[in-house]
Formats: sequence, C-alpha cells, structure tokens
Amino acid sequence: MKKFIYLLLIVLFSCEKDDICPGTTRTTPRLVIEFYDLTSPDELLQVPGLFALGLGAEDTEVPINNEIVTTRSSIALPLKTDAIETEFILYKSYDIIDGEVIGNPDRIKVTYDSENVYVSRACGYKTTFDIQTFAITTDSDQWMISSKILITEITNENDIHVKILH
Amino acid sequence: MNLYSQETDTTIADSLVVKHKYGLRVGIDASKLARTFLESDYSAFELNADYRLTYRLYAAGEIGNEEHTTSTDYLNSTAKGVYLKAGLDYNMYTNWAGMDNMVYFGFRFGISDFDQRLNSYTIYDTNSLTWGQTEVLEGKDFKGLSSSWLELIFGFKAEVLNNLFVGLNVQIKGRLSETQPDNFENIYIPGFGRTFDSGNFGLGFGYSVNYLIPLFKKAKQ
Repeated sequence: MKKFIYLLLIVLFSCEKDDICPGTTRTTPRLVIEFYDLTSPDELLQVPGLFALGLGAEDTEVPINNEIVTTRSSIALPLKTDAIETEFILYKSYDIIDGEVIGNPDRIKVTYDSENVYVSRACGYKTTFDIQTFAITTDSDQWMISSKILITEITNENDIHVKILH
Repeated sequence: MNLYSQETDTTIADSLVVKHKYGLRVGIDASKLARTFLESDYSAFELNADYRLTYRLYAAGEIGNEEHTTSTDYLNSTAKGVYLKAGLDYNMYTNWAGMDNMVYFGFRFGISDFDQRLNSYTIYDTNSLTWGQTEVLEGKDFKGLSSSWLELIFGFKAEVLNNLFVGLNVQIKGRLSETQPDNFENIYIPGFGRTFDSGNFGLGFGYSVNYLIPLFKKAKQ
C-alpha cells in the first residue's frame, strides 16, 4: 500500500510527456510548389540555382530559414500565419559574384484564408491555409511563365499545391 | 468484567457487546484548501460526507468547485466548474473496542459541469524562424461542458480527537463521457483533474478533515 501511494504521488507530480510537444508532430504546413517544363507541361523540370527570399513589410527581403541555393524541381515556402497574403522572390541561377547578386528574380504573391486547428495541449494550434489567389508578377525578364493551383487547401506538405511552368 | 460475570447470563452478554458509533460525518478536503492558498493557478473547495450504513459499509460523496489554469509552451487555458461524486466505501479494518477508524476502498460515480477558457495560444510552426511566431491572445470560451466518470478510492480515516477524523485517500478514475469542445479538448475537468492524451484515465488525491455527528450506537452484527 505504501509503495503504491509513493508510485501514485510520483505519477501525480512528475512532468508528463503530454506536456512536451514532440518534434515529430505535424506542424503548420508550408506551400509546396513544383516546377514543370513549359514545352512539355507534364514533365518536371529542375530550376538551376533556385533560391527563395520572403518579402516583409515595405518589401524588405527576409531570408527563409534553411533555404539554400540548389538546383531542384520543388520548393516549400512558409506562409505568414498572422496575415492573409505572403510574397516571395524566387531566383533562378542565383549566385553572388564580387558581392553582387546575379540571377533572375521573379516575384510571386499568394493570398489565402487561414484557420487555426487544434493539435494538442503540448503543441497548441497549427495553421492551415486555403489558397485564394496565386500570381506571378509580370516583368520584362520573367522566367516563370504560368502557374496553376492544384490543391487550394494547404493541410500538409505531401501535397503539391501549385504547379509552375518555366 | 469478571465481577459482573458472576451475575446472570443475560447481563454478561449485554456488558460484552461492543457498540460502534453511527452517524453523519461531514468535512472538507484540506489539500484543496491548501493548494488554493499556495498555488496561483488553482482554487477549489470540496465538502465531503459519509453516512454509516452497516458495520463496514458507508454511503459517501463529495461536492465541490474547482478552477485550474493549465499552461504549456504553446497554450494557456482555464477550466472552472462544479462537480458531484457519490458512491460507497467499504471499511477493511477491524476496529478494537471503542474505535471507529477506517482503512477503506470504495467507488464513486462523478459528474462535472464546467467551462473552459482558452486564454492564449501560440501557433505551432517549426518554420516560424522566417516570419516569427504568431501568438493569439484573443481568448475563447467553451461553455456548458460536462463529463462523467467512475473512480476507485483507497484511503484511511483516523479518529484523532473525539469525533474528529483526518484521512488520506487516492483516487483512480476512468472517464465515461465528456462533451468535446469544438476545435479544442478538455484539458482539465473539475472533480476529475487533468486529462491525459493517452487515455480516459485520471488520478486524484485528498486529505480530508471530518467531524462525525453521532446519531446512534449499534453493535457489530
């Protein structure tokens, strides 16, 4: 009986694993974009030296965490959870030579509705998004030609939400 | 004793009969009172009572209110409400003459009527280093929630002064029902205690101080 009471007291007052958010818990999903070949729209086409930057207030460039210049055919971009739109600059052939940024920057803008969905006592809420519009800003030297929203609801990062032809 | 045994048989029988006190025992849970004063995120008051039915069996119950604020890294919520528990206690302890202590186990059926307020939360976003964490401070109320549960109770009650008892007990609980708040969950249920992600069980303990209002005396049958 005495041992049992001690055991119960330990359980009652010890820190429960329920209170710590496990790193494996699905988080607020990012926007996933895949890049396809303009001449053959069903074929994935890698973008050489792809690099993304976020655009904050008054168009200040905001570095995206863990974003590095790589040649790839898809990218995941974090959306602002406290706003209804987020803008990015996507560079093709990004490089820095003698302190000068070279490459072709194109600007994209995504607008969305958002909803905060309960996860757990330890992790709180995550945000899911519902894409309203996706636009590539027209410029004279545009490398992204057209875009198509494949799935409007951003609930996980396994889906491809937007397809871009280049 | 022997002096009397020299008299008639009937008087011997009468004088040897050990009588036990029967009555209504009422009290409070002192641990809840202590926590109310010591912990800023907790306040509760519980009245308890038992009524002796037979030599070993007691009808028992608790009524109380409880308010508790849960704070984790990502959210802060307050549960507040009233609860009622009723059941039976069985005294396993065979008392010496003139004593009415208890080492008991029993069960309770409990119900709670409560509200939860989500005070604030942070958006769980492992990519938040880019845009910063979003904290939502606008609270939200979830009213009219209820839950029911069964509990097993183990404890003792000892008479420290005439008719004054102190006792300790632990409770193991299993939730039978609950109203789930929309896009949230019941983190704490008054009377039941904190909930666990892994199941419907709960735990509780009490430190009771009770006064017995003796109503009559009765021999063990």
